[in-house]
Amino acid sequence: MQGAILSGEDLSKIISTLVLIVVAVGASASLWIGVNLLFNQVRTSWTRFNALAGYAVGFLLLLLLQGNRLLKPHGPDADSITRLGELLWTPLLGALIFSALAVILANNDDQTRRLWIASGSGLLLGGFIGIRLAEDARPELEILPLLLSTIVIAGIGAGIALLRGRNPVPAALIGVALGWLIGGFGVPELGDGSALESAIAAAVPGLAIGARIGLTKNAGVVGRARIDAKSRGAIFLVPALFFVTVSLIAPTLITIWLSLKDEDSVDLVWFENYGSVFTDINSFDVGNWTNIFTSLLFVLGVLVGLGGLAIGLVLRKRTGDGFSAGGPAFAPLMIAMVMIVFGVLSVLRGTIMNNLWWVFTVTVFSTGLGLAIAVLADRAKLESVAKSIIFMPMAISLVGASIIWRLVYVARDTSKSQTGLMNAVWVELGRWSTGSGLPTVLGTVLVWVLVALGVASISRSLTSRTYDKIPLRALATIVLLWIAYRFTFDGIGGFRTNSAGETVPDTIFFVQDQPFNNVWLMVILIWIQTGFAMVIMSAAIKAVPTELIEAAKVDGATESQVFWRVTLPQIRTTIGVVVTTLIVLVMKVYDIVKVVTNGNFGSQVLANDMFEEAFLFSNTGVGAALAVILFVSVLPVMVLNIRRMQREA
Amino acid sequence: MKSRFLKLLALLFAFTLIAAACGDDDAADDGDDMAEGDDGDDIADGDDGDDIADGDDGDDMAEGDDMADGDISITVTGPERDESEAGAIQEVLGAWGDEHGIEVTYLGSADWEAEINVQVEGGNAPDISIFPQPGKLADFARAGHVVPLNDEAAAATAANWSEAWTVFGNVDGVQYGVPVKADLKSLVWYQPARFAANGYEVPETFEDFTDLVDQIAADGETPLCVGIESGQATGWPFTDWVEDMVLRQHGPDVYDQWVAHDIPFNDERIVSTMQAVLDLWTEDNVFASSGSIAATSFQDNGQPLIDGDCFMHRQASFFSAFMPEGTSFGDGEGEVNVFYFPDINGDRPVLGAGTLAAAFNDNDATMALLAYLSTPDYAEARQVSQATRKGGGATLSGFLSAAQGQDPSVYQPLEQSFLNVLETAAIVRFDGSDLMPADVGAGTFWTEGTSFVNGDITAQEAADRIEASWP
Repeated sequence: MQGAILSGEDLSKIISTLVLIVVAVGASASLWIGVNLLFNQVRTSWTRFNALAGYAVGFLLLLLLQGNRLLKPHGPDADSITRLGELLWTPLLGALIFSALAVILANNDDQTRRLWIASGSGLLLGGFIGIRLAEDARPELEILPLLLSTIVIAGIGAGIALLRGRNPVPAALIGVALGWLIGGFGVPELGDGSALESAIAAAVPGLAIGARIGLTKNAGVVGRARIDAKSRGAIFLVPALFFVTVSLIAPTLITIWLSLKDEDSVDLVWFENYGSVFTDINSFDVGNWTNIFTSLLFVLGVLVGLGGLAIGLVLRKRTGDGFSAGGPAFAPLMIAMVMIVFGVLSVLRGTIMNNLWWVFTVTVFSTGLGLAIAVLADRAKLESVAKSIIFMPMAISLVGASIIWRLVYVARDTSKSQTGLMNAVWVELGRWSTGSGLPTVLGTVLVWVLVALGVASISRSLTSRTYDKIPLRALATIVLLWIAYRFTFDGIGGFRTNSAGETVPDTIFFVQDQPFNNVWLMVILIWIQTGFAMVIMSAAIKAVPTELIEAAKVDGATESQVFWRVTLPQIRTTIGVVVTTLIVLVMKVYDIVKVVTNGNFGSQVLANDMFEEAFLFSNTGVGAALAVILFVSVLPVMVLNIRRMQREA
Repeated sequence: MKSRFLKLLALLFAFTLIAAACGDDDAADDGDDMAEGDDGDDIADGDDGDDIADGDDGDDMAEGDDMADGDISITVTGPERDESEAGAIQEVLGAWGDEHGIEVTYLGSADWEAEINVQVEGGNAPDISIFPQPGKLADFARAGHVVPLNDEAAAATAANWSEAWTVFGNVDGVQYGVPVKADLKSLVWYQPARFAANGYEVPETFEDFTDLVDQIAADGETPLCVGIESGQATGWPFTDWVEDMVLRQHGPDVYDQWVAHDIPFNDERIVSTMQAVLDLWTEDNVFASSGSIAATSFQDNGQPLIDGDCFMHRQASFFSAFMPEGTSFGDGEGEVNVFYFPDINGDRPVLGAGTLAAAFNDNDATMALLAYLSTPDYAEARQVSQATRKGGGATLSGFLSAAQGQDPSVYQPLEQSFLNVLETAAIVRFDGSDLMPADVGAGTFWTEGTSFVNGDITAQEAADRIEASWP
């Protein structure tokens, strides 16, 4: 678009939108107030209430029919005034008839007479509407489906009533009306039927509903009081329920329905779309599962895990407490779990596996890092500054963050200097570790000093008899030792030896190299979400009563014991909330993948796949199926979250 | 009590009026639906003639306040959204609109492929859209979304464009699309002065070309610049290479069968061609400014060509738009020129592409605009406007049209040579990925091709997966 100045057309659009909003809000408000006033009449003036309610029902019913051009319209040459009049007069006439009927019923206590009046006028009104139905709305009745749907739905209604220990007849009557409507208008082609057929199709539901109304007793004083009381709840609930239905329930059901149809949403293919999702090698590829056992991550993970298990078992034998959180076996087991999951998910590929990987990694790391930062920053100097910085990425949009990180990950041809931060560091590291200048010497000294520090920390644990800290420190020292060894001898970082035997820089394609490019994408979301986890858990930690902590300290608990045994159990529910929120959020991840790889290089996720299938390739069926898979996988977590919230409330 | 009852009545009356007003809106909406029901989707609604007439009426009533002055407006959407391209289109179409008292708005979008689907399915289609992919146009035509040209527009198209081009807008014998832009894809960009300095010659045959590649590599230089990253469309430069090579190695007949899916995508010949492309893209042969071919953006190949990081870059005529600012075209020092990507069998096939305009309604104004889009007048005006926006003088506009009867003087010499190739080529084939169904041409051919180039899968695996995705 050129220029930012509003044109006259833009302005008139804005104005008409505003007018529409005012009218809509005003109409909703007056409708709501009106209904309240209407039900105010129940106790005091029963007849008046019935007159007004009948008026409203009749008006709405016929307005809906007339407004949707289901009643016989005037000819094409009718001018707009005539059609406007028709739109107004038919509903008004209907409103008056219904109103009169309601008044008659409200003043009749004789049960037989009520039944006759109601069912008779229902039959007549239904038949009349049926005859007046527009030609293209007339059904060509098919007896079998008509009777079948009537019997089935009436049976369901009666069954439910019986199960609840009620009289089955009224429910069965409603069922008859519904079933007849569905069988009469829903099943056959519309537009081929005669006036008689459409009269029959409409008269029977009229009769059934009339009979249902006729069966009720005319409300006495007690009954009116009950209607008055019950109606209030409904008046408050209905608007919300209406919007939830229109904007949430209906789309969900339609999506599920679409997922059972073919790509043009014409023919029903049942579960073919789901089948194609799970047989597509790009969304679900577990053919290489044997490679899991040869993957380095998996093997190392198992080894570390076995180590942790051994420590835990030995400790349990000695002290009876082997696997508690924060104990010596805890860290190795946690690390082992991450390594094993990474090992498995780097072998089992596909969109669905990617989503699982995302959920696991982002949830675990965001929660873990958020918790760690919240604990470490608690009551520290500059706490608020530190937390603000960590929280800041939350303010960046996902797309913005993705663009930032894409620049961080970018690789350049190795003959040029690297502009991406990660590759610049990596290539420079390679240059230092393979070179012979001052940086190389300093680097070598540094890495070995680090190793020495690691060894020193282990020996200090040995002398001070804090054995529980040894496993983690030993792990860290082993990793440091490996780095120091590589740095000194083989070299570490971005370099390779080319065919001529020279050492040349080499970059990492963070975004392109499978399968760990997925992890680099996850880092972006972890970077953003850690702040969220931290803020929530920091608040929870501050809410832990100081008496508890002081009591623990008086009993001689160390800082880490206080954290693992007092603070952590206190904030468990908060962690649960953070975890479930994150799972739902990560399940739907879309923006990052869209911006950074667009699903290329084996980084596709469900949400992006759904978008591409539904909107780029016009495979509505598969797109809807992916949406349903996404929805179903988020559902249990949502349910868990809601139930927890209800329990707390 | 009395007053309360009166209030209640007043409210009820107000409600009645509002409901009636809303009901009128409903009727108008209904009219919309009916008007769209033309394409026969909504059988249930029925296409009663009366109703359509009513519906249109209602529509006008509802829109009455939006366009109080009674102007007609046409919205055109398309994938070109660069300031120079979109600006030129807007300027030329706007000028035409001013002449005819019609307000024409052009909206360019980088995500056109996704948006047009959403707009069409949401019943919110523009009046005209410019399709870069005839395959998509055909999909829409068969689904009844776009409407055929009326006689006037069809006649203008047939008069202004050769059949080699109009055929791309023809679906099952009915003309839906108007060609508005032509691109020439079988080109290699190079610097003549640098070639001369190194003693290289422009290759005449494909064998010469591969020899030249080997020779440059042997001299310790990098012969080719290749990059296939393009955001949403990552992978398309690879598909262009494959198409050009299929056309060369196996001829136009196999090409047509391949595009029409008369032979499977994983046909042995296609697989071997895919492999041949990658065999040419060895590490020694290719300069990829972002490290790997799959990571390098296709726009980023201009600078290395100028800097001498590579010697040749096979890319379409529009690539002039992606050359660094201030690049001049010719045979002088530092200047850039093109040569025809050599053929193998001496039949000089040309891979072309372009855009087609098609309408979503058959209003007179829409059809008149389509007819105008097919004329050489439009092409000339757009060329002049776009060249001026690019900087004027000797800069290339990046626009090219094969409309007949254009004044060649609006084009620069290099562009005239493009036109010459287009006009003299015996075999012109449209970019195959644009003709294939979107699932393949804008889907798996790109993504699996990218995986193949990235070394994640073999040519056979890529072709098998593309074949499996063919709808």
